[in-house]
Amino acid sequence: MLLSSIGRKWIVAISGLLMIGFVVVHMTGNLQMYAGTPDKINLYAHLLHSYPIILWAFRLGLIGVTALHIWGTISLARENRRAKPLQYAVAGRKSRLQVTWTSVTMVISGTVILGFVVFHLLHFTAQVVDKSYASMETAVGGVAMHDVYRMVIKGFSNPWISGFYLIAMGLLFSHLRHGAASVFQTFGLRDRQLVQVIEVGAWILAMALFVGFGSIPVGVMLGLIRP
Amino acid sequence: MKLHLRVWRQKGREAEGQFETYEAKGLNPNMSFLEMMDVVNDELTKEGKEPVAFEHDCREGICGSCAMVINGEPHGPNKGATTCQVYLRSFQDGETLTVEPWRARAFPVLKDLVTDRSAFDKVIQAGGFVSVNTGQAPDANAMPIGKEDAEKAFDAAHCIGCGACVAACRNGSAMLFVAAKVSHLGMLPQGQPERGERVRKMVAAMDAAGFGNCSNQYACEAVCPKEISADWIGRMNRDYAVSAVKKL
Repeated sequence: MLLSSIGRKWIVAISGLLMIGFVVVHMTGNLQMYAGTPDKINLYAHLLHSYPIILWAFRLGLIGVTALHIWGTISLARENRRAKPLQYAVAGRKSRLQVTWTSVTMVISGTVILGFVVFHLLHFTAQVVDKSYASMETAVGGVAMHDVYRMVIKGFSNPWISGFYLIAMGLLFSHLRHGAASVFQTFGLRDRQLVQVIEVGAWILAMALFVGFGSIPVGVMLGLIRP
Repeated sequence: MKLHLRVWRQKGREAEGQFETYEAKGLNPNMSFLEMMDVVNDELTKEGKEPVAFEHDCREGICGSCAMVINGEPHGPNKGATTCQVYLRSFQDGETLTVEPWRARAFPVLKDLVTDRSAFDKVIQAGGFVSVNTGQAPDANAMPIGKEDAEKAFDAAHCIGCGACVAACRNGSAMLFVAAKVSHLGMLPQGQPERGERVRKMVAAMDAAGFGNCSNQYACEAVCPKEISADWIGRMNRDYAVSAVKKL
């Protein structure tokens, strides 16, 4: 039953919700760039890396969740294409069919976000895009640790990287605007009274993530976040 | 009043279809869309040509037979109306209208605007019923049902199975239809004994028929002539999950 249409919709919704949870925590962590001192985010990153078993269990879990989300959406989308072999010669009015732009571009936004995530991991996690990141060290209270603060500023000083980052965050907004609201429908929690709350709530969540993530490269480019 | 029509013509299930154009003249704005099609077919018959095949029955908006996509909108431009309840006053004099059959793999075109919608029957046969032992008819009101539940069940039971939801859906998904049929029985006490089994079997039949999957865009709800709410799809998703977990 997990493989049925609705079973896979549940898999996509639950994995999507877990990933939303992850990006919210990730964004909150990033906001420590504004703490006024590099120590705050460096200590936070140091803490996250101090228990390799937990870190790797978390990473593998997140990779598994992402894989489920991708597998579920691809298999559903392929069936959807097959189920509609011929489109209408004249498209109906968008206003009549109440289909939103963000909802029809989910596959595109999701694919670009996936590409971004791979780049982002190579860039800041594996640090293979710019090898100098790996040797950025600092010490807080006598403890040597990786200088995440300086790495982020150096990373976002490159306008191409900041630009790609902002485009990806814009698509994340688009993806979650539809995705976060859809979770409620798949869980069967959407009804007449709640529609407005869910739609506006999804918009606010998606916008908060866009602003939270996006403000950091913008802040670096404008010189508001400095070494 | 007159209208320019581009109508999908297709000789048979396997045949290639194409659009043909017709001029419908001398129309009265108070004619229904189907009456206009009758006028066009009269002319075609007089000219010795094959009339346009389309389905119709009650012509009062309750049977769900008439199925035409007018300018990309199933059942035409009016909210909460079937094709037979669309009147020519909804259009501009001289307007060009493109008329197509329902498009979905599960609804193959049989001829012109007529599609085979028996996939819906298969979904109903899989579980869209309550099993009742024969015997005396039960006493009226022997089973009390609250006003609100009765009204809600009736909202879902309004579905006439026309298939406009499938036609409007970019994914050719039948989830609004199936959800309405699952829920109107699931809302009532008579439907409880088979509730879990019903949703599982009907969803399996829906999947097997080659319908797509809901991606929560709600075009189905927008074109539904009976204005069935997409909230029923949410309820079906929940019912399905509850029943799947219970079965473990």
